[in-house]
Amino acid sequence: MTALALPDKALATAVQKLPDNALAANRQAALARFLERGFPTTRLEDWKYTDLAAVADISQRWLENGAPVPSSASIGDRVAAIRAAIDIDWIVISNGAIADGMDLAGDDGLSVATFSELAHAPGFEHPLADLNAALLPDGLHIRVRAGTHHDRPLGLLIVDGADSQPGVAQARVCIELEEGSKAQFVEYHASIGEADHYANSIVELSLARGASADYVRIQGRDGHHTQTHRTTITLQDASTVRYSGFDLGGQLVRNDLDIDIAGKEANVVVAGLYIAGEGQHIDNHVRIDHRVGPARSEQEYRGILGGRCRCVWNGKAIVRPGADGTDAEQANHNLLLSERSEIDAKPELEIYADEVKCSHGTTVGQIDEAALFYLRSRGLDKQDAMRTLTRAFGASIVSHSPIAVLTDHLTEMVEGRLSELTDGGDE
Amino acid sequence: MTTETENIESLVNRRYEHGFVTDIDSDSLPPGLDEDVVRAISARKEEPEFMLEWRLRAYRLWLEMREPTWAHVHYPPIDFNEISYFSAPKSDKDRPKSLDEVDPKLLETYDKLGIPLHERARLAGVAVDAVFDSVSVATTFKEKLSEAGVIFCSFSEAVKNHPELVQKYLGTVVPQRDNFYAALNSAVFSDGSFVYVPKGVRCPMELSTYFRINAANTGQFERTLIVADEGSHVSYLEGCTAPMRDENQLHAAVVELVALEGAEIKYSTVQNWYPGDENGKGGIFNFVTKRGDCRGANSKISWTQVETGSAITWKYPSCILRGDNSVGEFYSVAVANNFQQADTGTKMIHIGRNTRSTIVSKGISAGRAQNAYRGLVRVMPQARDARNHTQCDSLLIGKDCGAHTFPYMEIKNPSARVEHEATTSKISANQLFYCRQRGISEQGSLQGITHGICRRSAESAQRQPRRRRRLGTVNA
Repeated sequence: MTALALPDKALATAVQKLPDNALAANRQAALARFLERGFPTTRLEDWKYTDLAAVADISQRWLENGAPVPSSASIGDRVAAIRAAIDIDWIVISNGAIADGMDLAGDDGLSVATFSELAHAPGFEHPLADLNAALLPDGLHIRVRAGTHHDRPLGLLIVDGADSQPGVAQARVCIELEEGSKAQFVEYHASIGEADHYANSIVELSLARGASADYVRIQGRDGHHTQTHRTTITLQDASTVRYSGFDLGGQLVRNDLDIDIAGKEANVVVAGLYIAGEGQHIDNHVRIDHRVGPARSEQEYRGILGGRCRCVWNGKAIVRPGADGTDAEQANHNLLLSERSEIDAKPELEIYADEVKCSHGTTVGQIDEAALFYLRSRGLDKQDAMRTLTRAFGASIVSHSPIAVLTDHLTEMVEGRLSELTDGGDE
Repeated sequence: MTTETENIESLVNRRYEHGFVTDIDSDSLPPGLDEDVVRAISARKEEPEFMLEWRLRAYRLWLEMREPTWAHVHYPPIDFNEISYFSAPKSDKDRPKSLDEVDPKLLETYDKLGIPLHERARLAGVAVDAVFDSVSVATTFKEKLSEAGVIFCSFSEAVKNHPELVQKYLGTVVPQRDNFYAALNSAVFSDGSFVYVPKGVRCPMELSTYFRINAANTGQFERTLIVADEGSHVSYLEGCTAPMRDENQLHAAVVELVALEGAEIKYSTVQNWYPGDENGKGGIFNFVTKRGDCRGANSKISWTQVETGSAITWKYPSCILRGDNSVGEFYSVAVANNFQQADTGTKMIHIGRNTRSTIVSKGISAGRAQNAYRGLVRVMPQARDARNHTQCDSLLIGKDCGAHTFPYMEIKNPSARVEHEATTSKISANQLFYCRQRGISEQGSLQGITHGICRRSAESAQRQPRRRRRLGTVNA
């Protein structure tokens, strides 16, 4: 048994308690694999900087309590607030259960169904995917029919709450964009409640030939909740994805974004902003696998760190043999505002083809003294000047968010978070 | 076949020039490793008790350790009991008093390698220590150096003649438990070079060591320790070659550098161990731990390496920037072709205030080679105003090779400024066309562009004419 294993019997009992649907057999297979491997530990290269001990601890306490479905009295208010702030159609997954929005399926080329309805067995190839597949009550499957274009974004609200007892919830969404289709998605992670909570979610996005997706992920979990989230994106010929991720909340957050370029002339643009304050740990792992070429990928992540916190950014571009014509760019920039913040950045290139152009750049620094002086000489106090420059640092990621309707909300969220970070500064 | 391809072929197919075997009587231990072997090595070297105890502790630690697997290299498992851990030219028993008494075959070997051991050494102004298989066979210019107070001798002599210095500094930069190969080296190292430069002394000449593996089925485990006392300066060059053999041979060296306040050490390596043949058969497994400790304020350690040899390279010359205002530099050109695999880079650990580090790494991959840069820049919480700049470029020549970059940045102080840039590309048709239209041949264009990519690393070696010449052969 590894140090981060969960008790076999209690976990098996938790799996037994789940709804008896078409996923039952798949859960047992996933459970067996998870019990074999347990949570990934820091001895693994990919988990070197992120210790899931806290996640294992919450899971253990949740199992000891009989693995109840978590609940929070305020969860409805949280959902209502998000709906009011962002006026789009939402499908709500609340504490792992698909709670609302299944009626969105219409004649306009969008179909929504559960995994159990489709007898779709989610795959498991990673310990956290095993855990997800083992404990998943049901998943959500979205299909965008060939040739249809959807200009109104579809929202996926993954919301969790735990008021009195530790909670654990799984969510899984599979989105298929058929040939030539076009759609926009907003994935919003939120949580509420005083008790500890661990959310483990997976989103799988596949784009057929010529399909195009704009995708924004916003993570605004409560400051003492934890999350592991995995997104996989597969692109066929001439498909395009523009993806932005914003991490503003959570205590321990790990996001894996795994992009598989399986088609020629595919185009990937990824941007991300992480803002971490006191007590937060935010880890973003991005892996872009160029299996064929020509294709282009571009990613830029920015991080703002204040208080006692740690952020991890690991960007990897792989160019497989024969993927000629690949153009891959990575950039990661970090602003450290506090004596006690730490950034661990690792931009990796793994190149097995020669007709390629790949580059990466990473910087770690602080606010430019000259810029600060410039603003102060124009009458801004130090705090305002700091806030202005910090906001400008994060603004490029916000303004490049591919879904325009979100810009105001994102700007407000980012500025609110930055105010919390910079207000601690001295005159 | 196009002309460009032919040019690339000629670059890739360059023969290894140093693959001869010297037919010389050697005194070797049978293959295998246990405490008795460690004791036997120590006894043959007539070491004091503290050295034996140090070796045995390392051996016991090694038994508990696992071989690292994280590097981006693949090779069949090594059977550590098939290796002979000691091999010395027999003539060592009645050790030569001067170079005139050195076995002429040995001198001939170094002559073939172009090592200025004798008269040429004086002309070149380089003091040389040569390590043949496991033992140091000759150190030149000892008297002239000792006039300046510089100690430059084999490690064995240092253990005998300067035990207090060895005891004070050995293992303080690379402890026995540092890693699997460092522990192995600590247990069985047979010789190496020792340098001590006293306070305020600028070493009057460049120091140089040449390492040669000759005997079959032997590993080479040399250990180098360089201590630059306060305000001193020393420049050191090492080179290495080995015969062409079908089986792989292990080389697991440890180099420790200590720079006290205001001292400067410039350490340069021309690593040209046998890389294996064009089918990937044979070659040296080069698993080396090199680390420098800028222990005093205002000290500086600079590593320059030209890596062209070895079947597998696993090597990260590093700097611990402990002293305030200390400076670490790493300039590297790594060329890998055929089936060579290189996983090399550096670590810069910023501890003191106002420390600075520069990393310039150029990797060239050809044939079916895999060439990886792996680096760590760590800024500790107390390291105020640390600065690092890293530039890491890879060039791919041919469709079947690989170039990889694995940089780690761990920044724990907000006053740090750290920049990392990396690019990977092939020589573009535009670059070639530009050179060709100015009347340069395709071969010349290819060489010129490749040289341009390596220029900055090469420039740092300008005061080392022999290395420049070797860099020249990379593209010949």
